[in-house]
Amino acid sequence: MKLINESSKTKIVNNLIVAILAVYGISQKRFNMGEPTLFNALVTEIIAPVQEGIASSKKNVSSLWENYLMIVNTSKENTVLKKQISRLGSDLTSMEEIRKENLRLKQLLNFSDGISPQRVLAQVVGWDSANEFKVIRLNKGSSQGIKVMSPVITDHGLVGYVYRVTENYSDVLTILDQNNRVDVVVERTRTHGIVEGVFNFKCALKYIMRNEPVEVGDKLITAGVGGIYPKGVKVGMITDISKENFGMTLSLEVIPSVDFDKLEEVLVLIPLEEGRGQAQEAAPVPTGPAKETVITEKKS
Amino acid sequence: MKMRLSQMLISFAITVALLIGLEIVTSTVMPVFGWKEYRLTFNVLIILFLAIRMDSPGVPWMILGLQMVHSIFSIEGWALGTLAGVIVMLSANYLKELLHLTTAFMTMLVVQFFQVIWFITVTLVICLKIGDFEKFGLIAGSFIPGSIFLSVISPILFWMLSLIWKVPSSGGHHGVEI
Repeated sequence: MKLINESSKTKIVNNLIVAILAVYGISQKRFNMGEPTLFNALVTEIIAPVQEGIASSKKNVSSLWENYLMIVNTSKENTVLKKQISRLGSDLTSMEEIRKENLRLKQLLNFSDGISPQRVLAQVVGWDSANEFKVIRLNKGSSQGIKVMSPVITDHGLVGYVYRVTENYSDVLTILDQNNRVDVVVERTRTHGIVEGVFNFKCALKYIMRNEPVEVGDKLITAGVGGIYPKGVKVGMITDISKENFGMTLSLEVIPSVDFDKLEEVLVLIPLEEGRGQAQEAAPVPTGPAKETVITEKKS
Repeated sequence: MKMRLSQMLISFAITVALLIGLEIVTSTVMPVFGWKEYRLTFNVLIILFLAIRMDSPGVPWMILGLQMVHSIFSIEGWALGTLAGVIVMLSANYLKELLHLTTAFMTMLVVQFFQVIWFITVTLVICLKIGDFEKFGLIAGSFIPGSIFLSVISPILFWMLSLIWKVPSSGGHHGVEI
């Protein structure tokens, strides 16, 4: 008597093969640095433009909402005038958006003057679709000179580092992610510690000894240790200190300097020794807000 | 009920297209509207449907394929979810006599139960990989709200998937055999 029929055998074999493949895949997986497979790179290049399109249509959607949908119930008499006003309002909104964008980009460029001579301005086009990871997708990739492990900043502070790159897009492991550990210094006391992402868009500062005189409100900057982040970039501020009855270290909560809720544009810093060649080959002159690719600063 | 291979491939292609659409909603549309903290992991829901409702030797390979697509949108990669999917499928097979998705409420309960299995598998592996089991509780904090929302919408998505896969919209683990 056959205990297991053919179909069950096939199921068991298939389950085994796929489970073994998965276990092998997990064993090879690194959560702090990624190399896209050919499949990943190809499909990302196809799908990411859709994400980019949706992300950039935010302004149009909000403008539509504010200027049209909210005035549906106005009287017929005023319709023509209202439309004219809303059209002008829409133009104004767009111009105001452009003005704000310009301001932000200028701040970004001025901010990074002393940090890296080569930087790529990029827009955030998406977030990681898994709950466990805090990763953003940028609309610039290796063709603009971006490399894996390039630091990413805004004028407010540190965002993270480039985790994986395709030709035109890159994924950034933000400091909110639990796999990203940033070596920091408390600006006031010069105490060293490690910032890790936790939950709720907050971070934790670890390995600070109980006798260190840190206080709520102390600012954290990058220590420049580890070879990824430049020294002195703002990371966040201590917002809570709790001393347990046990252990040698303090438990500290940190709010990042960067408001990740409102993150739209970032600067990717290209390490000098690696980025020089490619960065200079790429278009060096910005052509408009958030359109520029690589900005190369010539230093004598 | 048996399904022809060609019909299965068509259904799978439509499911992949649906997953891509839902992943774009999660990764781009929702963050645009300010929903950045909790992600809706639609890949889990689609794989749960296949694991619970389909009775085919090809399901593990379909799970692998769907996770490959998911890896485009997440650094989670394909392997973690594939392992979790296979474990969920084996659990569903084991419990198949008990699973009767006859009402929307039952569907929500079953989906929530299997999401917990999924979460435990994935989070344990992540904690093992990063060597920090303190993160388990933290990850749970981000998992619960999203998983409840997914369970609530699961009857709708299961209904859509049952149309795509041409299986009865209610019932237990007696879906399509290929």
